Amino acid sequence: MKDAISRGLAILGLRQDEVEIEVLTEGSRGLLGFGAEDAEVRLTIKSPPTPEPIPEPMLPPDAGPKKPSPLPPSGPPAELERQIASPEQQVGQEVLSELLKLMGIRASVEPKLGHELAEEGQVPPLVLNIVGEDLGILIGRRAETLKALQYLVRLMVSHRLKQWSNLVVDVEDYLSRRRQVLESLALRTADRVVRTGRGQALEPMPAYERRWVHMALRNHPKVTTRSVGEGEKRKVTIVLK
Amino acid sequence: MSMKELIEYMAKALVDDPDSVHVEEIEGTSATIYELRVSPEDMGRVIGKQGRVANAMRTLLRAAAARQGRRVTLEIV
Repeated sequence: MKDAISRGLAILGLRQDEVEIEVLTEGSRGLLGFGAEDAEVRLTIKSPPTPEPIPEPMLPPDAGPKKPSPLPPSGPPAELERQIASPEQQVGQEVLSELLKLMGIRASVEPKLGHELAEEGQVPPLVLNIVGEDLGILIGRRAETLKALQYLVRLMVSHRLKQWSNLVVDVEDYLSRRRQVLESLALRTADRVVRTGRGQALEPMPAYERRWVHMALRNHPKVTTRSVGEGEKRKVTIVLK
Repeated sequence: MSMKELIEYMAKALVDDPDSVHVEEIEGTSATIYELRVSPEDMGRVIGKQGRVANAMRTLLRAAAARQGRRVTLEIV
C-alpha cells in the first residue's frame, strides 16, 4: 500500500502532506503490479490551484468488477485541464460562470473529473467546482440552492447541446467532502450496530445523501440499510441483517 | 447585479424562442415582483414538471437577493 501511495505521489509530483489519502483496497502480498491483489489508494490534492483528484491506475483489467477507469489503463492519468475541453465542459463553464456573475457572486469555476462522486462501475461525472470566498449562500439549507443551480445548468447545457448532461455542480468541494464524511459515519455506525446488536437511525438527510449511505453499506456483511420517514424527516436506519 | 438580467439569461437559455422572453420588474414596498413572459410553446420549459424549473429559478433568485437583504418573487405570466 505504501508503494501505491508513493507511486501516486510521484505521478502527481507532490508530498504526502499535500494530499488526502484514502485507502480503497488494502491489497495483499507482493509489490504493486505483482501481487495477487493490488493495493488501491485515492490521493486527493488538498489545495488549489489543481484540485484534481487522481486515483492511481492500479487494477489489471481482469481484476474483477471494479470501477472501470475512463482513462487509459497504462500510464498516469492525464489531467482534465490538459485535455481538450469537451463541449459539455465548455458550455457548462460558460453558463455557470455567467449565472454566478449575474447573481453578483465573484468566484471561479474549475472543471475536473469527479472520481469521489462516481457511482460504482460508472464513469466519473464532469464536476464544475465553484471556488471563491464566502460561498455558503450557494449551498443553502439541505444543499437546495446547490441542487437548483445544478439542475438549471444541466438543463441549459442539455438544451444548447441537444444532449442530456449529467454534470455536477459543486462549491468548494462541498459534495465530495460531505460524501467522505457520510461514508465514514456510515461505517462507524455499522460497527456500533454490529457491536451492540441494536439498530440505529442517522439524522434526516436529503435523498442524494441517503443514497451515499446506502451505497457505502451495500456490501456490508452484517448490516443492511433502509430509509424511513417522510419528506424532510426521511432518514437512514442501519440494522442487523 | 441585476435580477432582471439574471432571469432573462436563465429563461433565454431554456427556451426555443429567446426573442419572446420578456421580464418586467414591479417594485413593491417589501418585495420586488418579476413577471416573466415567454412564447406559449415555451411555457413548459420555464415551468417544468410540477413547477420544478420555475422553483429552481426562484431558489437561485432568493439566494442572490438575500445577499442584499431583498425579497423577490418570480411569476410566470
